[in-house]
Amino acid sequence: MARRYDSRTTIFSPEGRLYQIEYAMEAISHAGTVLGVLAKDGVVLAAEKRVTGKLLDLSSAKEGGGYGGSGEKMFLLNSNVIGGVAGITSDANSLVNYARTVAQQHLLQYNDDIPVELLAQRLCDMKQGYTQFGGLRPFGVSLLYAGYDPHYHFQLYHSDPSGNYSGWKATCIGANNGTAQSLLKQEYKDDLGVEEAIGLVLRVMSKTMDSTTLGSEKLEFAVLTYDEAAKAPKAKIYKPAEIDALLRAEGLAKKDEDTEMK
Amino acid sequence: MSIMEYNGGSVIAMVGKDCVAIASDLRLGSQALGISSNFQRIFPVTDRVYVGLPGLATDVTTLRERFRYRVNMYTIKEEREIEPETFAHLVSSTLYQHRFGPYFIEPVMAGLSKTPSGGFKPFIAATDLIGCLNFAKDFVVAGTASAKLFGVAEGLWEPDLEAEDLFETISQTLLNAVDRDAYSGWGAIVHVITKDKIITRTLKGRMD
Repeated sequence: MARRYDSRTTIFSPEGRLYQIEYAMEAISHAGTVLGVLAKDGVVLAAEKRVTGKLLDLSSAKEGGGYGGSGEKMFLLNSNVIGGVAGITSDANSLVNYARTVAQQHLLQYNDDIPVELLAQRLCDMKQGYTQFGGLRPFGVSLLYAGYDPHYHFQLYHSDPSGNYSGWKATCIGANNGTAQSLLKQEYKDDLGVEEAIGLVLRVMSKTMDSTTLGSEKLEFAVLTYDEAAKAPKAKIYKPAEIDALLRAEGLAKKDEDTEMK
Repeated sequence: MSIMEYNGGSVIAMVGKDCVAIASDLRLGSQALGISSNFQRIFPVTDRVYVGLPGLATDVTTLRERFRYRVNMYTIKEEREIEPETFAHLVSSTLYQHRFGPYFIEPVMAGLSKTPSGGFKPFIAATDLIGCLNFAKDFVVAGTASAKLFGVAEGLWEPDLEAEDLFETISQTLLNAVDRDAYSGWGAIVHVITKDKIITRTLKGRMD
């Protein structure tokens, strides 16, 4: 009979800790890095891909990515929010699906895009639920939300497996997030423009990633800006070719001599 | 009096050569009383698919929002825009889900579908209020003036009309049909969908 209670994860330890939540967060700190920087006229996200290899079929990622982001870590959650995920990919897919449904239900009910904080809140309500009620484990996923809404304009949020969320000017989740965060703390300036933010994100990314040189096979990239002509936020998830072009423009692309996967 | 005729309004779609057209009148009424002469009931679904929703005005708004929800979810998950055939089945199944308490709308769809060779093929379809699909090769009609539209369209339509000729044909068909219907009229809007552009024109009509 005692075994019945073994699998319950939503109980405090005698020291007053929730071990499963801490383990979930530990799992995330080994996952691919996701980095976000808030600028005055946009939000920039970058992520390190972990699942690579020359046999991996990337054909869908090459053509797609225009609408939903067909990569591993960067997803369009709604026309005004891009999500970057770190953690268990299958859990993340389920959360992304939930976020998209919530955002569209909001549009249906109020005829307005969902405010960014409300979307983060709705996901956190669900994540928190798994720290208290049944289900065998919490979601092993942290997210960065890069979004725009007419009330608070550009915003960057982070949420963790316990259901905590917070807004940031620049933050990082996943492997080496400590290093990245101290780099960001040193280099971040208020009143940053989106072009400078792109440079900052790529510089920090190149220092925190394991590989020596950046390339589209290891990197995902997205920028949220505001389209003055359309009077709407413009979410752009970069395609592999566009990432390589961007890296070349920033002078961070790998040289031809040290290409090993060709 | 039938609830289908409460607000009035009609929609027609026609096939041309590598193009399609969809048109509607702009009247919103409360039985015989005219309320608005600028009531839109044709909506873009994608860059190449349009839907017209003649029938009860409250259901026009509700269905428009439902279809926007479903199409947005389709686009973001599938990572491509919905094809007109797929959209037609989405419309059909949505309406049939309400088989025993239906939306009082008879949708008309027009669009260009992608062919495997990379070209575009004209597509039009219409359903009744519970989603029975009618794929037509020439034209489809719906709304309070549907009987009149049918008659005029049979007289004026011919195969392989170019975009500008199709515009003239659908405009004349609509304007002359709604003049014989008390619940449709008060101006019209026409969309002609071609592979590289959409021509949208608002027409003046009799105001009686």
